[in-house]
Amino acid sequence: MAYVATRGGEKAIEQAERLFRQDLGTIDAARVETIKQTMPYLIDRVMGEASLYSEELAALALAQTGGELSEAVLVLRAWRTTQPRIAIARPVQQDEILTQRRISAAFKDIPGGQILGPTLDYSHRVLATNVLEGKPYAPPAVEAATKPAPSRQPSLADWQRQQGLVAPANASDVAPEDIPDLTREPLLFPASRAHRLQSLARAETGGVLALGYSAMRGYGNAHPTVNELRLGEAEVVVRHPRGTEFSAGRVRVSQAEVTSKEKGGFLELGFAATFGWNEVKVIAAATLDLNSAEAPVGSPVHEEFYLYHTESVEASGFCIHFKLPHYVTFQSILDAMRDAKAKKAAAEQKPAETRQTEPAE
Amino acid sequence: MTLSSLTKPWAATSYGFLDASAKRELRRKMLKAIAVPGCQMPYASREVPMARGWGTGGLQVTLTLVNPTSTVKVIDQGADDGVNAASIRRFISRVSGASETWDTLAASIVQSRHRVPEEVMREDQILVLQVPNPEPLRGVEPNISIARQMHADADYGKLWLTLYEQIVRKGRIMQGAAYPSMVNGRHVMTPSPIPRWDVPKLNMAKHLTFLSAGREKRLFAVPPFTRVEPLVFSDRPYRVEDHADLTCRRSGVSGYFMNELPIDGGGSAFEVSDSNLGIKAIQQSEGAAIEVGKTWYRNGEFSA
Amino acid sequence: MLTVAPPDALELRSNATFEALMWALSRPGDSREMPESGLAAIAETLVDLECTVFADDPALRSEIAATGALVAEDISQVDHVFLSSLEGTEVQLATLRCGSALYPDDGATLVANVRHGVGHRVRLSGPGVDGTLELTLGISPGFWAMRAMLCAYPEGFDMLLVDGRSVIGIPRSTLVEVL
Repeated sequence: MAYVATRGGEKAIEQAERLFRQDLGTIDAARVETIKQTMPYLIDRVMGEASLYSEELAALALAQTGGELSEAVLVLRAWRTTQPRIAIARPVQQDEILTQRRISAAFKDIPGGQILGPTLDYSHRVLATNVLEGKPYAPPAVEAATKPAPSRQPSLADWQRQQGLVAPANASDVAPEDIPDLTREPLLFPASRAHRLQSLARAETGGVLALGYSAMRGYGNAHPTVNELRLGEAEVVVRHPRGTEFSAGRVRVSQAEVTSKEKGGFLELGFAATFGWNEVKVIAAATLDLNSAEAPVGSPVHEEFYLYHTESVEASGFCIHFKLPHYVTFQSILDAMRDAKAKKAAAEQKPAETRQTEPAE
Repeated sequence: MTLSSLTKPWAATSYGFLDASAKRELRRKMLKAIAVPGCQMPYASREVPMARGWGTGGLQVTLTLVNPTSTVKVIDQGADDGVNAASIRRFISRVSGASETWDTLAASIVQSRHRVPEEVMREDQILVLQVPNPEPLRGVEPNISIARQMHADADYGKLWLTLYEQIVRKGRIMQGAAYPSMVNGRHVMTPSPIPRWDVPKLNMAKHLTFLSAGREKRLFAVPPFTRVEPLVFSDRPYRVEDHADLTCRRSGVSGYFMNELPIDGGGSAFEVSDSNLGIKAIQQSEGAAIEVGKTWYRNGEFSA
Repeated sequence: MLTVAPPDALELRSNATFEALMWALSRPGDSREMPESGLAAIAETLVDLECTVFADDPALRSEIAATGALVAEDISQVDHVFLSSLEGTEVQLATLRCGSALYPDDGATLVANVRHGVGHRVRLSGPGVDGTLELTLGISPGFWAMRAMLCAYPEGFDMLLVDGRSVIGIPRSTLVEVL
């Protein structure tokens, strides 16, 4: 029964998983709560890539995977698969968002004002090593402005449309339930704009940055100017089966509009939005969106190229699948290679007899 | 209508993991895949609790088919005890209550990566092949929109040219596994990275085959009694791997696809790739009452 | 970490119905048994809010609407058609969706009550048929002529013909000769 002795696979995988989980120790609600409280930007990133808005579940996913980001996103997406879709939220307009931060690089000042909000942009990136020497870092308190900024801010693009700088918005009269949903239908090309923006919204941050950056460096034909960058909170307004609309809660959102040059008498806008606050991702994604229109097939700013290659779960999964055994395919290649070498050796010994003289069909 | 009529009582996971709407989408696409053999049907491909590229496409098809009376065999590279095969089989039985088996003859569903079992599959059996890259034209046309148009036009000239160039340069077609094959005389498909040895088993077979790529979101099918013809030139016949004369060092069977194992001091040893066929041969030689089914190859020759 | 409930009645019924439909289309002309007679179980197995459906039977129409599917009157808009009879439907079905060479999956699925074993004799060949197969179906030669006009493979529509609990599948890949 020698063959059966190889039946170690099931035990081995069980123990390998235990090793991983043992290193992480017991996961309790307190650990999940700590992650949720202390890592909001990490939670945001994971929720965006998972396309599932739940700080608690995202924190649990991070706890369970020890912060292995692609695993955390996968476990959330898989959980999402098991959940029914029970309602379709009303589309969110820019000027309805409870805005914490909203800036434009295109103008020195904009209607509604430049609202810096929470950012490390102008901070000195110094590691607070004192903390490790027993001196906790307590951030200085924020001084309230004498005149608080309004909680809702107009859309800059709307002002630009009034000025004739940006093409009039092509409001398409699509019923919410008819908006294509990437998670329930396959991405086909050319992609609908809804699918493109949904795919970017759940794309892997690093991947979007890499390809967006390639566009910024010159592999695209449009260099972005940040027309408007906005971090805020959006109400999720759904309709009760009896007809009443109500807010089921608020989600943190980021959105970016970038522009570069005029086309047909108007400034072109690239757009991106995602769950959570993730500025790098939306600026890079909006840059890809802006560059797509005239992108050559096969370039990093062509939508088929960047949408496929920034899909976090697919990219990471395929990458790690190369760890799986491939000895059958390898054997098949070896067989062809050996035969070709034998043929070549034979041909070199007796060239006249084996060389093909007539073309194959 | 109320909110509660739209949803179901809370359950940690649906039966068979996939929710009802995911299953219905797969069912619709599986029927279309049968209706147009070898044609890649796009589907949404939900995330499942396994990484993409690890059999998620095959898994979604199996989870749609499975019920508590199913018996499931899962193999990777021909082996039932490969770590990923074991993991997938355990997951399927956990979420469905289906029975597990290593025996091709006992299975109602065989999910496989890179092999078709050596024992002939029956007309009540389903083979689910995991597919990493569903596009046979990827090597000649990486853009899927253009490749799709080529399928629509039955424009396979570039693929034929590649095969021809290999003959000119190397004296033979160098394609190893995943040999492109014409299905029902219309669509070229990849049979998934099965060795050339296994492709004839799909031609005019009795069983139903689904091929599903979860990451690439495409599924296709080969119904029973459907022509699957490897692309070859009339004066260069199709050649399977040269394994007909190899003998398994453990079970003693010969004339089947083998795994090559390098041995110290040079040279190679061989073990039969369909591991449960080897196990059954050993058990039979030890006097156990074990049924070994009819095999597609006999004495190293294909004879369906 | 994972607890899974056993399948409920709907899950079991849909699973078994699908198995019958799958084998019916895989082996054109072969009859398969479904767990329940009629078209409603097929609708429940295949159709939901992603679908646009035509049904001539008012009761079935309201059951389909309850799944969230869009119930439409225009045959050319729908992906699934449910008919209580195929008689005299040639003109009505002339605009049935047949997909495109690019997306053959856009071709419709036609589900209809059709008597098995009575009517006109046909000979089937093509994928799923071992050689040829002859059978008798309650479908007029005029219908088959209309089908031959519409189905330019790989474009076409796929048929599930229901008689009580039995279902016979005729996919677009099947060549049908009226004898």
